[in-house]
Amino acid sequence: MTAAESVLQRVRGAVNRVDFNRFRFWFQLVAFVLFVYGGYLAIDLGSKLPFFSCGYNQEGRAGVCYLLPLQHQLGRSWAMLFSVASLVILTGFLTFAAWFIVLNKGWCGFVCPLGTLQDWITLLRRSLGIRFASYTHGQFAQLTRIKYVLLALMILIPLGIGGGFLSPDSSPPFCLICPARMLLPIFTGDFSQFTIDFSSKTAIFMTALGISVTGLFLVGSFVKKRFFCFFCPMSALHYLISKAALFKLKKDGSKCTRCGDCYAVCDMEIKEIADDVTRPDIMTDDCTLCLKCVASCPEPGALKATFVGIPIFESTEEGFIKRMNKACKHGK
Amino acid sequence: MQLLKSTITAFCLILASPPLWAEPSEAQKAEWRARREAMGGEAPSEAQRAEWRARREAREAAAGVASAPAVDVPEKAKMPPAMAGHVHAMPGAAPSGQPAANAAGKMAAGAAPGKPASAGAPPEAASGRPVGMAMRGGSGPLWLADSPPSRGDAPARGGMSGMGGMGGMNMGGPRNGPPSKRLWLRAGSDPQKSGFAREDAEAPTEVVLVRPQGAPAGEVLPPGEDGKRNLSFEMPVQGFYRLYATSRKLQGDTLNVSVAKAEIANFSHGGDEEERAQGMAAQRVLESALIEIVRERAADEKMFFQLKSGDEQAYLVLQKGLPVQGARVRFVSYEGWSKEVLSDEQGRVVFRIVRDYFPAWEEFRKRFKASYLIIAEANAAEKGTYKEQPYSNVRYQATLAGSYYPSPADYRSYAWGLGIGLLIVLFGGTAVYLYRRRRVKPYREVHFDDGR
Amino acid sequence: MANETSGVIPIQPVPYARSRQAGEAQTVLDHIVDDFQDNPQAMQYFYDLFRRVYCHGEAVPHSGKLVGTTCIQAPEELIYAFGATPVRLCNGSYHYDQRGADFMPAKSCSLVKATLGMLSSETVIPKLGKPDLVVNPTTCDQKKKASAMIEGMGYAVHDLEFPNVKESEAARVYWRRSVREFASELRKLTGQRLSRAKLKAAMAMTGRAQAAFRQLHNFRRQAPSLILGKDAFLVTNAYFFDDIERWTAAVEKLNAELAERQAAGFRAVQSKAPRVVFTGSPPIFPNLKLPLLIEEAGGVVVADETCSANRMLYDMTAVDEWLLGDMVDSLADKYLKPCTCPIFTRNDDRKRRLRELVSQFNADGVVYQAFSGCQVYEMEFRSVAEEFNAAGIPILYIETDYSPDDQGQLSTRIEAFLESLKNRKKQRA
Repeated sequence: MTAAESVLQRVRGAVNRVDFNRFRFWFQLVAFVLFVYGGYLAIDLGSKLPFFSCGYNQEGRAGVCYLLPLQHQLGRSWAMLFSVASLVILTGFLTFAAWFIVLNKGWCGFVCPLGTLQDWITLLRRSLGIRFASYTHGQFAQLTRIKYVLLALMILIPLGIGGGFLSPDSSPPFCLICPARMLLPIFTGDFSQFTIDFSSKTAIFMTALGISVTGLFLVGSFVKKRFFCFFCPMSALHYLISKAALFKLKKDGSKCTRCGDCYAVCDMEIKEIADDVTRPDIMTDDCTLCLKCVASCPEPGALKATFVGIPIFESTEEGFIKRMNKACKHGK
Repeated sequence: MQLLKSTITAFCLILASPPLWAEPSEAQKAEWRARREAMGGEAPSEAQRAEWRARREAREAAAGVASAPAVDVPEKAKMPPAMAGHVHAMPGAAPSGQPAANAAGKMAAGAAPGKPASAGAPPEAASGRPVGMAMRGGSGPLWLADSPPSRGDAPARGGMSGMGGMGGMNMGGPRNGPPSKRLWLRAGSDPQKSGFAREDAEAPTEVVLVRPQGAPAGEVLPPGEDGKRNLSFEMPVQGFYRLYATSRKLQGDTLNVSVAKAEIANFSHGGDEEERAQGMAAQRVLESALIEIVRERAADEKMFFQLKSGDEQAYLVLQKGLPVQGARVRFVSYEGWSKEVLSDEQGRVVFRIVRDYFPAWEEFRKRFKASYLIIAEANAAEKGTYKEQPYSNVRYQATLAGSYYPSPADYRSYAWGLGIGLLIVLFGGTAVYLYRRRRVKPYREVHFDDGR
Repeated sequence: MANETSGVIPIQPVPYARSRQAGEAQTVLDHIVDDFQDNPQAMQYFYDLFRRVYCHGEAVPHSGKLVGTTCIQAPEELIYAFGATPVRLCNGSYHYDQRGADFMPAKSCSLVKATLGMLSSETVIPKLGKPDLVVNPTTCDQKKKASAMIEGMGYAVHDLEFPNVKESEAARVYWRRSVREFASELRKLTGQRLSRAKLKAAMAMTGRAQAAFRQLHNFRRQAPSLILGKDAFLVTNAYFFDDIERWTAAVEKLNAELAERQAAGFRAVQSKAPRVVFTGSPPIFPNLKLPLLIEEAGGVVVADETCSANRMLYDMTAVDEWLLGDMVDSLADKYLKPCTCPIFTRNDDRKRRLRELVSQFNADGVVYQAFSGCQVYEMEFRSVAEEFNAAGIPILYIETDYSPDDQGQLSTRIEAFLESLKNRKKQRA
């Protein structure tokens, strides 16, 4: 083995042994600060971001979640929508896709401020010693469809607005019910999203619905890990274009003992990660690529996160033992 | 979990059920239709235009007798206002024919600029509206508006202006070209109902356009078709476009200098950032302006600024770039309320925008665009000659129009919002707690008592 | 002459070390130690342990209550967390097997007969004392029926309800509930409450043991082998009753020695020795008959898939939230989901595990032991054989029991099998 190879080996080994939860916590914190406060430093990463860097956080945002411009663009009048002027929608989508394929759904698990917020709420619950809730298999199968319904509505309602069937007060429909719209601006001192807009019936309904969803979000993410991610239309949109992504979660089924450790730690309670031993591309539509499964797999090489095919983070015995023992001893 | 599932199902059903969408009112639909047409509907046919012209003439004939001041009205004033105030028409845009016709019947006093207002109180005063600052006559001050005079009681612009659509600006131009802006020169001090300013051979209007990244002194706009005033321009660059329409008229030994100004903020989210930054930070004062009003921008003001009722807004009155102290500055609101103050030594005045939008609640539109007018007047004892005629006084008049929107406090409620949110959290939290507690209790069998 | 034969000489009670039972253990242990060369020095601990416990009948101390388990599915972390000591009761002694045969049907599994025989004797070797509770997971038929019998022998028995289908959600929930019930049973037994710290400490202890085992397991991948299978079996069999921390320390020492061996390029066997994966009914000391036969004949058992060795210590628990609920649930999952016991309806996991072991350890063949009477292992052989035949991996099926009578026959078969493995290797090379 050449010197370079042995160095690479050592680096790989160190990466695979990392205290994964701590690493992820700090990564998420940095990403949160960047995207919720980056605007103060005049950072602007565009308006095609594949995660909830909420555009309503006017002061501090370092870029805008793609769903906001998408809904606005789809809400144009039909004359304009079905004309050459809509080429900008296509280019916008391609920019979004370009951002997306870099980290695949890892944007959800590591960067999304709303996801981070949910993880912090989970930490709060954990510190209070309250146990988490989980879905039964039947509930899981039914509820996972909701994200596609929301995605469809998110596209159809702006089309309806553009066609004049629906009131423009319902634009942008998903943003009006998204909890991020209400919760993220709080971090820059903007509480104005917590109002009910009485100027029209549609506005009353949508803002009331929005605040209700936020209330449910707070209760739900308190008891269920990553509650909202299950229903997120951005997640559905991601999954539709995830085939082309560069960052992937791969499983080697022959090495899997189906011990279910990955399933036990999965925030989204995805059973396939443990039970499916045939598919190499194991990321499902609910997955947030948080890689907790990789960190909790004791079988070497069974799960790995790869970037353009190169394994970045693999499950190893030493990594598992180190992480579980540490957690066992110091308890967190 | 059952509860959660059913709640979510309920919400989805509600979202999808048509009856709960607010049915747009017919008036709203009509407006949207009009706006769509304005943005790219077809041009009215010649037949339509002829009809409108005929109708207008008939109305004029009927109204002309009652509203014309009892003075000699020069021939020109009898010309249909549409032709007088005709500006370079944009293809496909709504014709100025009919609205002007309607307006003509209501503001005849303003249709004859430069004429002495010896007819006494113009009809405007009769309706309770304040008297416009007539230029020693029945006419009102000249000002540049970004919309033609309104038709009846409907607001000049559809309720969907503002952020909806194209940033509240009447944009036209070919689809793949830069946006262009059209302005109208109106006369009168009623932001709603002032009609078109008539052409006056004795008081030609010199139009200067200052572009961002253009010459600081601006350039004169070339005359439009048929020798009419050209008040439209393209806006390829982001920044502030300022249009000054200056006219001079000699009345006795006083020269009336009127400078109507319009400032258009052309910014968009896309486009060059540097250009945008440059545009935002640029100078907005014309050194050569005989008198002008500049709206003061706050340092942290964003690209798309909207003045809301209840906000305070400061203006500066400047002459040739220097502040004017003691100028009489009047703010006229959409409904005609006005307030007059004198500018301080920095030429600065501050107005608090009134709230004068009180429709019936069902008709309340939060994006209702109301225009306001600022009129500043200053006198100076200057001597000189104008067109070989001497004058010993100059009366300067500057105008600036703008818009304001209803204050969010009028239709947004924190109490309701936080109340509902809190209710949901408490309800949800209690539900979860009770569900969890119930699970822990042992299963209790149903007991049948056979003894009875 | 009358005073010479006046009284019958009563038979003196023999100390255990001279009993036939001890003799059996002694024979096997001597065989393990003396008949093979270059035993690792660290193995001395284990040889001494077995000599003391099985041959001399020394008492094995324990702390707290003693909880006997009859299957690996009983969560020992919970037992430790309640301050009790778990001990695996499964027995490998032919002596007890014969004892059990007195009241068990003829065609019963030797292991169950031996275990019941042991529990019904006065002297229980290993001498741990009487278990305060016997936990009997409802796995195979014979163990299930043994529950009532053990209770009849005067023990307190807790039936740990283990599902027979592991794929379904209902099974997972059922098993989690069983484990929680077991926890409350332990609470009643010990009078202590389960606390987060205690459970964490217990899991750390078993985690360390599992980590040590894994290292040993990984060392056995080495070709040629660093250590013989007989020693590995002895190590894992010691886990049944030895103090866990001492055991872990001893294994870590063994691992250190194996690391040295590896660095020095040491070989425990010839390079041509056929590498065998052992699977099926568990070999429990002193019944290490088959592994010993294999290694006497020149083969080496590199890995195994049995519940007295690999399966007992291989799977490790991952916990997401270190709160009691999640910890106990994760433990439950670990004992159910990866379990490749043949008592389940489907055995896909077992087949895959065997395949993976064969490929990881570079094994040449598989020896499948089934105790006569063990219906589940006997039935599963068919599907395992199909899989291995399709993959072209040789597999030898041996049905045997605890009696030493068939040693000769078996050694012939095994030698033949190993020959064929050697030939295959030569052909492939």
